[in-house]
Amino acid sequence: MADLGLMSVLLGLALSAYAAIASVVGVKKRMPELLVSSSRSLHMTTLVTVVASLALITAFVQNDFSIKYVSDHSNTVMDRAFVWVAFYAGNQGSLLFILLVLAVASSLSVWLAPKRLARSMPWTIAILGATQFFYFFVLAFYASPFELNDVGPLDGRGINPLLTHPGMFSHPPLLMGGLITITIPFAFASGALIAGNYGDDWIDVARVTSIISWGVLGTGMLLGAWWAYTILGWGGYWAWDPIENVALMPWLVMTAFIHSIMVQKRRGMFRMWNIAMLNIGFVLAQLGMFINRGGPVVSVHSFASSTLGVIFLSFMMISLVFAFALFLWRMPELKSDRAMESFMSREASFLINNFLFLAVMAVTLWGVLFPLFSDLARDVSVSVSAPYFDRANGPILLGIVLMMGVGPLLPWRKSSARSLKQWFVWPTIIGIITIIVLVLLGVKRPVAILSFGVVAFVAAAILEEWWRGTVSRHRAGDNWALAWWRLVNGNRPRHGGYIVHISILMLGLGIIGTNFYQQRTDGALGLGESLVIDNYRVEYVSNGDASRSDRIAQWAEMSVFNIDRQDYIQEFEFAEAQGADGFTIKDSSLRPNDEYIGQIEPWHGFYLDFNMASVRSGIRSTIAEDLYVIPRDFLSDGRVSLAVSINPLAWWLWASGPFFVIGTMVALWPQPSVERRKMPTSSKEVGD
Amino acid sequence: MAVTLGTLLAILCVAVIAYPLFRKNRYRMVSESFVTREKLRAERLRIYRKINDLESDYTSGDLTEDDYQRQRDQLRHAAAQLLMQETGAGSARERDIEEEIAQLRNQSSESLEGGDTV
Repeated sequence: MADLGLMSVLLGLALSAYAAIASVVGVKKRMPELLVSSSRSLHMTTLVTVVASLALITAFVQNDFSIKYVSDHSNTVMDRAFVWVAFYAGNQGSLLFILLVLAVASSLSVWLAPKRLARSMPWTIAILGATQFFYFFVLAFYASPFELNDVGPLDGRGINPLLTHPGMFSHPPLLMGGLITITIPFAFASGALIAGNYGDDWIDVARVTSIISWGVLGTGMLLGAWWAYTILGWGGYWAWDPIENVALMPWLVMTAFIHSIMVQKRRGMFRMWNIAMLNIGFVLAQLGMFINRGGPVVSVHSFASSTLGVIFLSFMMISLVFAFALFLWRMPELKSDRAMESFMSREASFLINNFLFLAVMAVTLWGVLFPLFSDLARDVSVSVSAPYFDRANGPILLGIVLMMGVGPLLPWRKSSARSLKQWFVWPTIIGIITIIVLVLLGVKRPVAILSFGVVAFVAAAILEEWWRGTVSRHRAGDNWALAWWRLVNGNRPRHGGYIVHISILMLGLGIIGTNFYQQRTDGALGLGESLVIDNYRVEYVSNGDASRSDRIAQWAEMSVFNIDRQDYIQEFEFAEAQGADGFTIKDSSLRPNDEYIGQIEPWHGFYLDFNMASVRSGIRSTIAEDLYVIPRDFLSDGRVSLAVSINPLAWWLWASGPFFVIGTMVALWPQPSVERRKMPTSSKEVGD
Repeated sequence: MAVTLGTLLAILCVAVIAYPLFRKNRYRMVSESFVTREKLRAERLRIYRKINDLESDYTSGDLTEDDYQRQRDQLRHAAAQLLMQETGAGSARERDIEEEIAQLRNQSSESLEGGDTV
């Protein structure tokens, strides 16, 4: 398999180089046969990448430990289901996976691209071919997954234990796929610019491919947060870690882009801005590859550190220079022929929201790069931690959420005082009522209360828009359900966007709840002892051994009770005096109002070969809050050391995922073509 | 076995990409008129969708009657100009435009935006 894999990579290297060069030569020398040949070459790179990937997967399935990558990332006791995860568990496999996604996406987008892009297509193919060439080059000469061991071991080292989690089947591939597929809209936009196609022909393709990569990246980040919440054992889901940040930054810029591209579609404005956004997104994706694959920044969950930094940094710099040199060259031709008529317009609100997204990106970028600069300039190692990001980004993110409600309420071009009053009055009232109710209920923390008010305002704005549109169609004769369906179906990009906005609001609820109102306590429990926090009593009932040849592992069985705080009033008062949120009790007898509500089984393992601990938190989740139990360690005296927290509204974080995916799909779903009739074209005509 | 498969793969790739080079007469560069026609058509479809957006905004109360009428007239005029350029006809064929907009509306039973198929 190693031979087949290596041959495929070398073949891909030659094919991608040919695709890039033949495209440029073909268009310059006006040789249509060469252009067809280069396009076919790009499709052939997909075939050889698939063959190389299958060769590696087969090697894993067959336990072919003569291949170093296989012996480093699997062993005979590894569950076969994790072969897919082992494929991208290390740098070499990740790069092959990234290339696989890029090749498939390139082929599909070139194959499906509309005919009117024929003149810019050779340049698009050249950019895609050159990007693929870089990855084939790295795979062939610097990070081959098909390198052989001098002496094949009888068994492998095994897979990184933190990767043996359901979330790992999709989180890393989605992140890698999301980052690399930003290349596609970038290649189409740049191809159009090189060809001198300054119109809006490329924007439909760029918008669709951008939303796909943006949706994939967003879903990947959310799954990563879920994985961190359930397995990493630190009790959170987002740590502003460099690896997380380098995925977040291009996602923020692409979010800005898919909003501003609507202005170009609708009003013919923001041409320069949109190209700049795509360029920044592409370069940030390359920065992500550099940080992820090159390993210049220490990360809490970097699984693929290596010495590839210089190579990826070089490619990122080349990308940066190419993208912005092209932009500057064509800038005079990109000026929009329309000006913004009013700042009280939807296009102005999109521009403000773009600036806010860029501001979060810049704050985050500085936090990621500062340790690097400090290391280089002063030879002092520093790390930028969560408080910096929370304080700097928190207010801007709140502003973005507010604009999410304001933007859709404003009409295109300009608005009148009457229309502003008409659209804003109810959402504003609902936002203010929410704040007043929370204050009257005794909810503390003003920033959180304000944030809840903003969330309510945005939710009301979306519902108001749906309500008015539905009523209007209902008056025309549709029943209520059909009226709403037709409203959404009639403008899928807009209403798909609203569904995504709802998912962001749900995410916002979870973030506010867990950041402002989390309670936490630690303790060590013997059998029969309990830990009490908030309205819960957690009793340690029994334990069991789950060790295997590669790990020492134990699980604890715990009963969970709902309690009446009055039954524990003295203990709570004592704990609060100590500044604690909870306490332990040795007495196993229950109080009068204790009510059994279920069982949890937190798990703790230690992997000997990796010298690494892994946990599965015990989580009892409701719509209002999570009871979250982290087993820190099973102590030699029979007790289990626990960290227990109440995470308010955490359920909403994960519930937002399906809404995000559904909204993205609705926004992407193709509209029926206005013309079924095919234009008289020749399929043999190729780019000029 | 693996080397044989790799060799066959290489031969297949070379054959696929070399084939067009031996059939030069089958291909020609895309003509200026073809690209122009395609662009005009795409622009016209974009305008139809803008008209439907406008109707959607008007129905939802986003636009006043005056704004709606004025913008719709501007877009219809632009679509007529494009159709005239596409077909080479001597006058704008308003009825054709109305028919195509109606066709678009019927296909989805409601107004549309986008047309973002790749």
